[in-house]
Amino acid sequence: MDGLTEMLKGTLEGCVLEIVGGEETYGYAITRRLNELGFAEVVEGTVYAILLRLEKNGLVQVTKRPSEQGPPRKFYALNDAGREELARFWAKWEYVTSRIDKLKEGGK
Amino acid sequence: MKFWDTITGSDLTREWKAFEVRVGALPADHRAAWEQITGHLSSYSDFTGRNLMPILDGALGLLEETAADAQSAREVLGDDIEGFCAALAGGERGRGYRDRWRQQLNRNVARKLKQLGG
Repeated sequence: MDGLTEMLKGTLEGCVLEIVGGEETYGYAITRRLNELGFAEVVEGTVYAILLRLEKNGLVQVTKRPSEQGPPRKFYALNDAGREELARFWAKWEYVTSRIDKLKEGGK
Repeated sequence: MKFWDTITGSDLTREWKAFEVRVGALPADHRAAWEQITGHLSSYSDFTGRNLMPILDGALGLLEETAADAQSAREVLGDDIEGFCAALAGGERGRGYRDRWRQQLNRNVARKLKQLGG
């Protein structure tokens, strides 16, 4: 679907947290996963900026691993703070979607 | 950081040289993307540009990783390099010229208003 960028802005960070929470992974794999889910407009640069923010906020654990070719890759895994943040994200998501569904159904 | 480096900026020159060597090893489209990134990020620079060094190092790392994966720069960064740079520079380290100008402007306007007895 096109034109999702604006709507995704607030939620992409949570999506990345969820993917990283599943298993230790790296930027390229996260981007591909989001693309497979149907978020075709998400590029690796976007994911990179989010990962950088997560790292700065102390929500992920970063490990550098050598790759077969080129420079080492950075792998990301959630730490305890990251898991808490992920739980908060889903709680907020639940809240927002339930309110918006209600609005759509006519505000009852 | 050594005092001498702080005064002369010679550590920055060294870092830039190291960047240039790494950039030289990239494919052409990644090199072009690097030019754009440095251009956009410069507006977030502090007086010496030292605040940008870790950000630039990370961005260059991303370009290197993706070049090794044989991805094109467009695949990696999309069309919105300016937005990418804003996201990278975001937060406390991204305070640069623009913020200072804005502050200065706000101060001047406030002073003028006060003089007018507002």
